[in-house]
Amino acid sequence: MADTAKTQPVTSAALRRQMLAEFWFYFSENRGAVIGLFVFIALVIIAVLAPVIAPHSPFQQYREFVLLPPAWLAGGNTSYLLGTDPVGRDILSRLIYGAQYSLFIGLFVTTLSLTGGILVGLIAGYYRGWIDTVIMRLMDIILAFPSLLLALVLVAILGPSLTNGMIAIALTLQPHFVRLTRAAVMAEKSRDYVTAARLAGANPLRLMFRTILPNCTAPLIVQATLSFSNAILDAAALGFLGMGAQPPAPEWGTMLAEAREFILRAWWVVTFPGLAILITVLAINLMGDGLRDALDPKMKRS
Amino acid sequence: MNFKFGFAAALIAASFLSTTAASAKTFVYCSEGSPEGFDPGLYTAGTTFDASAHPVYNRLLEFKPGTTQPEAALAESWDISKDGTVYTFKLRPNVKFQTTDFFTPTRTLTADDVIFSIGRQIDEKSAWNKYISGGTWEYADGMGFPKLIKSIEKVDDLTVKITLNRPEAPFLANLAMPFASILSKEYADSLEKAGKKEQLNQNPVGTGPFSFVAYQQDAVIRFKKNADYWGTAPKIDDLVFAITTDAAVRYQKLKAGECHLMPYPNAADVKSMKADPNLKVLEQEGLNIAYLAYNTTQAPFDKPEVRIALNKAINKKAIVDSVFQGMAAPATNPIPPTMWSYSKETKDDTYDLDAAKKMLADAGVKDLSMKIWAMPVSRPYMLNARRAAEIMQDDFAKIGVKVEIVSYEWAEYLQRSKDKNRDGAAILGWTGDNGDPDNFLDTLLGCDAVGGNNRAQWCNKEFDELVKKAKVTSDQAERTKLYEQAQLVFKKQAPWATIDHSLAVVPMAKGVTGFTQSPLGDFTFEAVDIAE
Repeated sequence: MADTAKTQPVTSAALRRQMLAEFWFYFSENRGAVIGLFVFIALVIIAVLAPVIAPHSPFQQYREFVLLPPAWLAGGNTSYLLGTDPVGRDILSRLIYGAQYSLFIGLFVTTLSLTGGILVGLIAGYYRGWIDTVIMRLMDIILAFPSLLLALVLVAILGPSLTNGMIAIALTLQPHFVRLTRAAVMAEKSRDYVTAARLAGANPLRLMFRTILPNCTAPLIVQATLSFSNAILDAAALGFLGMGAQPPAPEWGTMLAEAREFILRAWWVVTFPGLAILITVLAINLMGDGLRDALDPKMKRS
Repeated sequence: MNFKFGFAAALIAASFLSTTAASAKTFVYCSEGSPEGFDPGLYTAGTTFDASAHPVYNRLLEFKPGTTQPEAALAESWDISKDGTVYTFKLRPNVKFQTTDFFTPTRTLTADDVIFSIGRQIDEKSAWNKYISGGTWEYADGMGFPKLIKSIEKVDDLTVKITLNRPEAPFLANLAMPFASILSKEYADSLEKAGKKEQLNQNPVGTGPFSFVAYQQDAVIRFKKNADYWGTAPKIDDLVFAITTDAAVRYQKLKAGECHLMPYPNAADVKSMKADPNLKVLEQEGLNIAYLAYNTTQAPFDKPEVRIALNKAINKKAIVDSVFQGMAAPATNPIPPTMWSYSKETKDDTYDLDAAKKMLADAGVKDLSMKIWAMPVSRPYMLNARRAAEIMQDDFAKIGVKVEIVSYEWAEYLQRSKDKNRDGAAILGWTGDNGDPDNFLDTLLGCDAVGGNNRAQWCNKEFDELVKKAKVTSDQAERTKLYEQAQLVFKKQAPWATIDHSLAVVPMAKGVTGFTQSPLGDFTFEAVDIAE
């Protein structure tokens, strides 16, 4: 306290730096979250550098090497480290390219449902009244469906493809963001600084987006990371049911579905895509946990 | 029942079994699902027929074991009028119905039973036409029986006359199908009197090799040998269907000796089954075909050269190896080799990418991009259509054809692929119903089927005339010739890429003898025996 008192004029850059340091302090206290973060960063690097890292093209079918076991097993081949699938494609390369799909799905779905959720939630929380009732009942209806079932129905109507699958998942994740935003907005709206801003003549748009919204971001960020992993899982489930990414896209869930029948005969075709999904989702969830610890004032112990 | 009592009962049962093992032979079949009911006329699933039509009932004609050739069964002989519309059947005398706990017959088979069994399926006024709520005579309707059959008459106790509205060559084969099973009218009458009509679908009584004992939903069906059977008496005393829906579990049970025979193994497991010294595995080409149907009404697929060029670029062997693990044979003709009139003259388009590329160039096709429709479900004739499509996609890319794979939910897929303006070639298949080539050639490729089952939307005059002529010809040698010619026309025109005929694989315990694989996919046990 004494230090900050001395350097009296706190610049906004310094303040931001100090907030970041504080955030990192709480975040790094959670060992799992840090591991999750590193795994996630590694995944991003793999996805971005896929064309450089992957030993083979994910689409090239080596017909003479069908269902080859991983390199360390008898009959394996070092040029196909994790073995090959039923049409002779290198599994490692497909997993590496699959990271692109999964991260893109996570990013796209989260962005879509986050923006949509914030807009709708802000309107509902700020204006209240009948708009609020209509919006919230609509969200309740969406929530009443099991999310995967709703996504399946939507995809069945729109036609199975990755884009349609992502839109469907975004829609099913929407209500969580709407509810969170609305609740935060309602809590913030009655605060003095909002009243002050309104008295100063700020119009509703400015009030909503510049005054209130920045103070509601913490829960939204946490929810966004959790949605990120949810989206990856749901997309994999859709792919597994044949309603998501279409062949020959090396999407993990689709790979899993295509290989199901080999579970007794060629375990590697099923195991590695499953592991990839598990590791990714686990890492992101751990990271989300750490974020909650760092961002939620109620969790802070100091 | 408490545990102790159960244990004691089991002990007694075990000792009883061991003392009588030499005299009573029990054959256990791990079936793949529960029957929908026991009246075969109401249903279409093979699972239902295996548990009802084949053990319990007989038909006027039946398929000779291992073939699709109808032969005399309950009808000893028959006579067809010159114009092919009047069929007179002479019934086998002294055929006894089964005596069971719930019914004791007083008379043998007569014309009344035949008229009852088939009549109720086509006559809406029959008291037995709607005895099960919501039940329909799906097969009889699908075969057009109500419109085809003008009348069924009793000439005398052992003679039945069926009059048709028009000649129909496959009629005898149709009568050999499970839905035309002959039930006991006497039994039906007694049920009607007792006001328990629905029992006809639960406690079956027929003339077949085994009589029905008990059925426990989703668990087990028990039959016992019919001592009064008119044919060769079965060699086993008890027949048990242990219902096991999961293929992997069926395999485990077979390995553990809990059953003697199982249907429909996982393709991936077959290799280890063949290696197991305690098992033997029968294989046969199934009565089916998987194909890629081009839309022959759309450019450039309206040109036969383009279709043949694409056919040449499909590596059928890779598809068979990768999708079926070798449990299928590459297809040349639109009908399977186990069917009569299969043409050996036709030559398949050999896999040759260079030739395919050249043919495309000669036909003036450049930068072609197309869609391949892949079915979303696994069917016996095509276990994994998406994987097959991926292999085609890869091969087509090598001759400069870009492919996008599309898929819809199954019912939607069937519906949309019928559309005359469908964009793209569709993977689909067919399993034969009655072993008649008409059931493939006219049903799937005739002009009448355009916009329906004819997914290639292909109407070729020469082909259509041949199969239409064969349909109204009764002489089989003549029909064979016509169908062989039709297959040559088909191959020259190539509306489909014929992909494969899947193999029906039946694993069984080493000691099982006398089981004949049916090309129609039926499982019948009247001739099986087990070595001790």
